[in-house]
Amino acid sequence: MDLLAQLLVNGLVNGSHYALLGLSFGLIFGPTRITHFAHGPLATLAAYVGWWAAQRGVPLELALLAGIGSGALIGILCYQYLYEPFERSGSPALVILIGSLGLYIVVENFIGAVFGTDTKVLPNPPSQVFLIGPVVITQVQAMQVFALISSAIALGLFLGKTRFGRAVLAMNDNIEMARVVGIDTDRIALLVFALGSAIAACAALLILMRDGASSHMGFNLVFMGFVAVVVGGIGSLRGAIAGGYALGLVESLGMWKIPSEWQSSIAFVVLFLVLLFRPQGLFAGRQ
Amino acid sequence: MDYLFHILVSVALFSILATSFNLLIGYSGLFALSHAAFFGVGAYATAILTTQLGLVFPIPLLIGMIITALVGMAIALPALRIGGDYLVIVSLALQMIVAAIMLNWTALTGGTDGIRGIPRVVIAGWELNNAPRFLPLAVFCAAFCFWISWKIGNSPFGRALKAMRENESAVLSVGKNVVAMKLSVFALAAALASVAGSLYAHYVTFVSAEGFTLDLTVYVLAMVILGGTGNLWGSLLGAAILTILPELLKFLALSPDVADKIRQMLYGIILILILRIRPQGLIPETSNLNLTRDPGYRPDVGALVHASRLEGTGLEKRFGGIVAVSGVDISIEPGRITGLIGPNGAGKTTAFNLLTGFLKPSAGEVRYRDRPLTGLKPHEIVRLGIARSFQDLRLFTRLSVIENVMVAMPRQSGDSLFQVFFNPWKVRREEREHLAKALAILSFVQLEHRASDIASDLSYAEEKLLVVARLMATEAEVLLFDEPLSGLSPDTLEQVFPIFRKLAGSGRTIAIIEHNLDVIRSLCDSAIFLDEGKKFAHDRPEVLMNDPALATRYFK
Amino acid sequence: MKKRRTVIASGIALIVGLVALEAQSQSQNPKTHKIGAILAMSGGASWYGTVMSQGIQQAVAEINARGGVNGMPLEAVIEDHKSGNAQEAVSAMNRLMSIHGVKMVMTSFTAPTQAIAPLADQNKVFLINGGGVSNSLVGVSKYIVHNRSLAADLGRGAALQAKALGAKKIAAIQWKNDAGDSIVKVVHPAWEKSGGSIAAVEAVPQGISNMDTQIAKIKASNPDAIMLWMFNPEVGLALKRIREFGMKQPVIGVEYTGNDAKVAGTHGEGYYFLNDYFQATADYPWSMSFAKGYEERYKAKPEFYAANYYEGVYVLAELIKRVAAKGGTVDGDTMRAALQANPKFDSVYGGQMNFQENGVASKKVGLFQVKDGQNQFIKYIDLN
Repeated sequence: MDLLAQLLVNGLVNGSHYALLGLSFGLIFGPTRITHFAHGPLATLAAYVGWWAAQRGVPLELALLAGIGSGALIGILCYQYLYEPFERSGSPALVILIGSLGLYIVVENFIGAVFGTDTKVLPNPPSQVFLIGPVVITQVQAMQVFALISSAIALGLFLGKTRFGRAVLAMNDNIEMARVVGIDTDRIALLVFALGSAIAACAALLILMRDGASSHMGFNLVFMGFVAVVVGGIGSLRGAIAGGYALGLVESLGMWKIPSEWQSSIAFVVLFLVLLFRPQGLFAGRQ
Repeated sequence: MDYLFHILVSVALFSILATSFNLLIGYSGLFALSHAAFFGVGAYATAILTTQLGLVFPIPLLIGMIITALVGMAIALPALRIGGDYLVIVSLALQMIVAAIMLNWTALTGGTDGIRGIPRVVIAGWELNNAPRFLPLAVFCAAFCFWISWKIGNSPFGRALKAMRENESAVLSVGKNVVAMKLSVFALAAALASVAGSLYAHYVTFVSAEGFTLDLTVYVLAMVILGGTGNLWGSLLGAAILTILPELLKFLALSPDVADKIRQMLYGIILILILRIRPQGLIPETSNLNLTRDPGYRPDVGALVHASRLEGTGLEKRFGGIVAVSGVDISIEPGRITGLIGPNGAGKTTAFNLLTGFLKPSAGEVRYRDRPLTGLKPHEIVRLGIARSFQDLRLFTRLSVIENVMVAMPRQSGDSLFQVFFNPWKVRREEREHLAKALAILSFVQLEHRASDIASDLSYAEEKLLVVARLMATEAEVLLFDEPLSGLSPDTLEQVFPIFRKLAGSGRTIAIIEHNLDVIRSLCDSAIFLDEGKKFAHDRPEVLMNDPALATRYFK
Repeated sequence: MKKRRTVIASGIALIVGLVALEAQSQSQNPKTHKIGAILAMSGGASWYGTVMSQGIQQAVAEINARGGVNGMPLEAVIEDHKSGNAQEAVSAMNRLMSIHGVKMVMTSFTAPTQAIAPLADQNKVFLINGGGVSNSLVGVSKYIVHNRSLAADLGRGAALQAKALGAKKIAAIQWKNDAGDSIVKVVHPAWEKSGGSIAAVEAVPQGISNMDTQIAKIKASNPDAIMLWMFNPEVGLALKRIREFGMKQPVIGVEYTGNDAKVAGTHGEGYYFLNDYFQATADYPWSMSFAKGYEERYKAKPEFYAANYYEGVYVLAELIKRVAAKGGTVDGDTMRAALQANPKFDSVYGGQMNFQENGVASKKVGLFQVKDGQNQFIKYIDLN
């Protein structure tokens, strides 16, 4: 029973991380339909900025903010100088996808070349450990859950209650119609890239605090985010969160009785079964 | 010099992967990210069959093709239900599962140690144990696989694949069996990829699970897209460029610590630049229908047919708690045009869907020529002679006008891959006949001058005419048009009316859903009035329009 | 057709380009002893490539500073197998042989080594492996030697330590690949035969970041000791998690690089590990000069992977000298014969290493424990 409780908590914590990634990816993918492969390495770069600041003696909170801020900025630059020109020349979605792959390769190798290939850790990461009965949860893990909850709430308020937020939702729903009613879809695209990249940077910084950061970590960041979005239902941010938690829980509880070498494939088998019975994803998003 | 030959062997193997992947992604629009798994299954099949059973080339390659084709069909099964972005996850799942099996089923696959010592290919006493010797075999197989992919892509079957990519429901509505098409293309693409896998196993003599991961699929994907989807020569070029480019970059002398990372960065930048310059890929997709093959004659497409009455009795359709259609009796007579009118949401399109198998009725029955149609799939109903068009057109936008018409033609031997490969003369002969018929149909709707243009280049009115042409091409006796004339100017309408009258006059059974009352009055001999899913009247248009109760319903 | 011409023209241009460049490089520089190396220079495991190549370059620089080998300098040609890709390794090997004409290659990782072995055999290229540690690599080519202890041997030593600490029940986390499997295959049956029990075995893929499930299951199995059958950087991560989960049992493993220490932080305290004994001590001046030189060049403490490839270059240099002394030309056969003539070589680890019949150098294996953030040497382990 203790094991099951621990696995459940692990699943929720890692689910929060995947949900954060799904949220960040879905926020970009939904409205713009750009498969932003480079999302992972760019978030990694933002985490490295935060690390670099902390290394220089900047207090942790400021370093984290610097990381998140740089994430947003990097996202904006990426849209402005890579995707927007592609879109303006009418490139098909698959071509933009490969363009994104090109950027992925460039950024991941840039990080390795400039910062080195060793694992980066913060000089003084939060390291408390809490015990809730038999269940262990670390300070950073709690921060991951907190980050997801606060992002989700903040994003929900932003999307529902502000003019820009509603424009995002409109674009998410039907981009043609959004243009017709006068929404500047380029500006909104910049906005969602900024927000989505900032959220991903947040997730990456948490990983920096929890495990340490390496140049290759971008792969998991974008891959898990993408899977969470598709399982949850493309176009639905609530779905992205649900998809993330589904991933985390299946990864964790799925291993309860099954040998752990099957971990990655079990998660996929279950998700595959979900899609078989609910092809539009958990929350039917935009088709 | 061996190095150069090795690069060419790599290009050959990757070209097999790229062309087969293009069939899936470029031609069929099936975005399945499991190609590395197909490659791996072929490689492992050869590895196991040679090292454990002592089988000799080319037997393991052939058996591997069959096994991998079965694996490919296994992925096709969920693809039948889901498409687009969701197929990505399903195929990824298969990729993961196959990789996990390779890694963990130690008794069969050697587990994490992989399988080594795979015997070399021996041909006529020559052992192919280095790159120069292996190259001829690799090139031969690459050319053969290219030829197969080429034949598939350029056959009527390939045309139907492209149409399926453009719009799946529309290709169903012209009588194609989408299920069979998807299963076939998955099986073939997988089998071809496994050929590359088998060659790889014989060439490197060692296989392990790490070589068949998502990274490889993404690499091949880049080749396909760089080269141009829907164009097999492009895939060859893409394979060549993305294999040779990293090797060329190695000649760039840089400090060893960062050399390889910088080379990769350059690779990424060059990839982006090429795509910026050629956003459709290096070689864009082209229609390979050569109009110079025009046989010259034009069959009479307006000839007399003896259609029968299409009857729906007691039709009912429920969606959850909503009743879209209930207790509806529809009878559409041959030789005349029956209108279907009613306010928005009345259930007119639902009625069409029920009559043509796109929806299954919750109750009631549809009959044609005394044969019940309930339970039949849309493409089966088309083959029985009943076809419908769509309110939102659903043209195959990236195909040419003539291809849009030709893909709709029934009973093409070229729809069967067996015929394409084993009876190519018949297929070629039929293509010429069909080309003549298609041009005749286009002439009937006054679109012949646009035959080789891409459908997306047409004006709105021309698109509407193409919808009619495509429907005629199905040779269905019963033609159900969903708002075929909406949005057309009065002048255009005057030009288009004779086409419909001629169709009815030739004995066909015609129904049109329309909102424009002038059109109904001019064109329809009788009209059925639907509202709130129920039939209210079936009479001559003037009678309906003079009925005040119906008028209130219509304009409410 | 226009597009077909484009295809053919581009293809010819590319091939001509390759041939031209290849011809050009062959005419350069036949005046060095070339040593090829195929390492993880990019991708997820690029840390290994970095430290290995640094070791190689330092050795080459030192030897050349003293006049090279028989007056001719060494030249290291470093290629990339992209963190373990067999196909890339084959391309790299072809490059090294065709363009650079190398007769000796320093290899790393299992799949690349397996893939280049047949090429080495066919072309008489000498191979030396200082990194990959699986049993499957022993004898994979007739020209391969290893100056790194087998993972299975290190694992046996770790099991000995577990026994010494009085453990009866062990739980293990392993890398799910040939390295991890090779340890499990050898150590676990032996443990059970000697009367111990295995509480749990959990597997993680190399490069994983989320091991929580596996660690939770280990905790639930309540072992006396936890064995880590894995390598950098998952060792550090696992250590950190194990302690965060509140497990206090001794943890014993087969690796602990500086990178792992960084990741584990304070949680590394008390960890035992078996390793090829590398520690810069005053007893062994060569180890001191190597460490000093490494720190000066790269501003970081040397890793034992760097040490292996560093001393590997010295082994190769020595073999070249021996072959020349006999008046032969350097290739796999002559290098192997020179090695077998006298298989004892100076080791940067101190003393000498002895290449056994099977090509694996027997080196001193040491038991270390992390105390006060430092790797403290406890004793040598005799595995016989």
